[in-house]
Amino acid sequence: MFRKRAGAAAGAFLLATSLALTACSGSGSDDDKNSGSDAKTLTLWHYEGPTSAMGIAWNKAIDIFKEKHPGVTVKFEEKSFEQIQQNAQMILNSDSAPDILEYNKGNATAGLLSKQGLLTDLTDQATQRGWDKKLSTSLQTTAKYDDDGIMGSGKWFGVPNYGEYVMVYYNQDMFKKYNLQVPTTLDEFTKVMDAFKAKGVTPLSVGGAEYPAQQIFYELALSKSDRSFVDDYQLYKNKVDFHGPQLTYGAQTFSDWVGKGYIAKNSAGIKAEDMGVAWEQGKFPILISGSWWYGRFASEVKNFQWGTFLFPGNQLHPGSSGNIWVVPEKSKAKSLAYDFIDITMSPEIQNLLGNSGGVPVAADAASITDPKNKELIDNFNKISASDGLAFYPDWPAPGYYDVLVAGVQGLINGSKTPSAFLDEIAKPYNENLADLGK
Amino acid sequence: MTVTAPAPVTSAVPEIKAAKRRNPARFAILIALLVLLLLVVAPLLVVVLNAVKSPADYAGNGPLSLPSHLYWDGIINFWNRVNFGQKLWNSFISSIVVAVLGVVLSILNSYALGIGKVKGRVWFLVFFLVANVLPQEVLVYPLYYLSKQVGLYDNLISVVIIFTVIQSAFGTYLLTSVYAEFPTELLDAAAVDGAGKWRTLWRVVVPVSRPTLGVLFTFFFIWTWNEFFLPLVFLISNDNQTVPVALGVLQGDRLMDATTTSASALLGILPAMLFFVIFQRTLTRGITAGAIK
Repeated sequence: MFRKRAGAAAGAFLLATSLALTACSGSGSDDDKNSGSDAKTLTLWHYEGPTSAMGIAWNKAIDIFKEKHPGVTVKFEEKSFEQIQQNAQMILNSDSAPDILEYNKGNATAGLLSKQGLLTDLTDQATQRGWDKKLSTSLQTTAKYDDDGIMGSGKWFGVPNYGEYVMVYYNQDMFKKYNLQVPTTLDEFTKVMDAFKAKGVTPLSVGGAEYPAQQIFYELALSKSDRSFVDDYQLYKNKVDFHGPQLTYGAQTFSDWVGKGYIAKNSAGIKAEDMGVAWEQGKFPILISGSWWYGRFASEVKNFQWGTFLFPGNQLHPGSSGNIWVVPEKSKAKSLAYDFIDITMSPEIQNLLGNSGGVPVAADAASITDPKNKELIDNFNKISASDGLAFYPDWPAPGYYDVLVAGVQGLINGSKTPSAFLDEIAKPYNENLADLGK
Repeated sequence: MTVTAPAPVTSAVPEIKAAKRRNPARFAILIALLVLLLLVVAPLLVVVLNAVKSPADYAGNGPLSLPSHLYWDGIINFWNRVNFGQKLWNSFISSIVVAVLGVVLSILNSYALGIGKVKGRVWFLVFFLVANVLPQEVLVYPLYYLSKQVGLYDNLISVVIIFTVIQSAFGTYLLTSVYAEFPTELLDAAAVDGAGKWRTLWRVVVPVSRPTLGVLFTFFFIWTWNEFFLPLVFLISNDNQTVPVALGVLQGDRLMDATTTSASALLGILPAMLFFVIFQRTLTRGITAGAIK
């Protein structure tokens, strides 16, 4: 439509400022800014749907909080992901900042805000309340940020309640129909896909227009990697050779998979949502994507039996902690916020999170009742315990997500050779390194 | 979308009569218009289809299938989840205030520029035109700091002020060209009858140009209603949010809830469409309003 003629708004505020000369400039006492234990309200924001595992668990956490703090009112607001993503910096810098909120982990989000001094240092709380014991090393990576806002070391600025990881979802009915077994090595996995291909079935549902395709590429690169490669790539420990064995294998194998027809040529234009729905409709037997689909598949897939397995043969998997709780520097009820985080880390809430189809970070696996959820959590605990979370390929540089989407699309439709693709993605990565002075 | 959607309907009606006359050329045009109509309406139909479909049904049969049964929970849940009634009220009150103030401001500006022939009015118009084409993203930070200073951050008043100015910039631009052509006979007659400038404006100019003002009012209302970006930035508390911002709640990080999103989209466009249907006659009258007897 023909709007977007925003303009003249600047004039609006000339008008507004003249009004303001008469109005008083609000604000005042923030003496109790640091303690906040006598605060009577806790303003809490998050952006998880009420029926998601996190939504269910956190609503329960709010109830428990209210029981433990009878005199305190909790002002909960469900926000949109986009509103927080776009405006967090502006909101946290104003008097409208909440006392505690869910925020995205990563250098470009929580890291940036911590660097600007908008988030509260949680290091003391983490050690006193034992959060550092409950979270494994690879989960703590996204909780800590250094003075430059780079994750992995430094002070605690956030606390994750849940984890996520990439796995393989498969249609058990279709596996049974063609008499196939769950593969345990990459070789067997290739044979399974060959078998589907031989019957005229494209094995993989892939969304090339969004994140899923690059995660497959990364998963393949990880099959030849160890922890030191991940540290180099994600935490800039050493310089990454984009034509080294790991990334070359990832790009080459991905391109081979397209050539052999495991990945359909038209998937370059498919969005993640359509990828998921196509798999739910039984059009493809296999889907490689993250645990965020799990709850949805569990409630929506009625037409066939399905299961999951970890990407065969890999020690490292794309995945990380989920989003984190952060306490804004302007929070007026900091100690209440710490209490709330502590409740979300308690076994009761963590188990509820697990039983609702989420991936808790500190649950007691024995008290997860549903066998499917148990499998999901056991797999996560396996990865997390062996320090196997390798984060996501688009994390290292700002705007890298779009670079990878475009690059992998080139691999899918054959317009780029694996080597050209690697050159293309190396450039922004190295430019970012230069910006960081590394 | 909502503004353009019903237009083919009205033009299609006379074409049906024409088809009865068995004129092949007209018949072809009718077909073309029907195809066009279908293209315009198709997305809306898909939205309606999915709004009343259960998530499992959507997952099993895809977005284009007919729902196996009518499923209203999506709409009801969404309404309760975001407290939609209040969002409607916020949107309505801010849009109506912006529409009224925007029209009044446009009238005053254009009276000076179009009829009053103020010195340097071309430059004023150029300024308004430039203001119209500036993208909103450029303005966000200055507006944010100003509104914070004034204490109007997270307040509907800030959005009302901003959009009154934005809309009236466009209104001034449009209305000035209308008033520049205003019949001088009427103005002279008013002057002979002893009307002052103020009286002439409200008793002669405004009544004569009422159809054009009606168009401006309708557009201002719908434009303000549909605004997303600045309200997203300025209306932080859920209690202050407008309808388009509330719809954003459903867009997650990685997942999209297609059926609830459709339900919310339906709820979101209905009021603007309703408003358009009610004021549609004003619009068509306003377009032919240039001619003065």
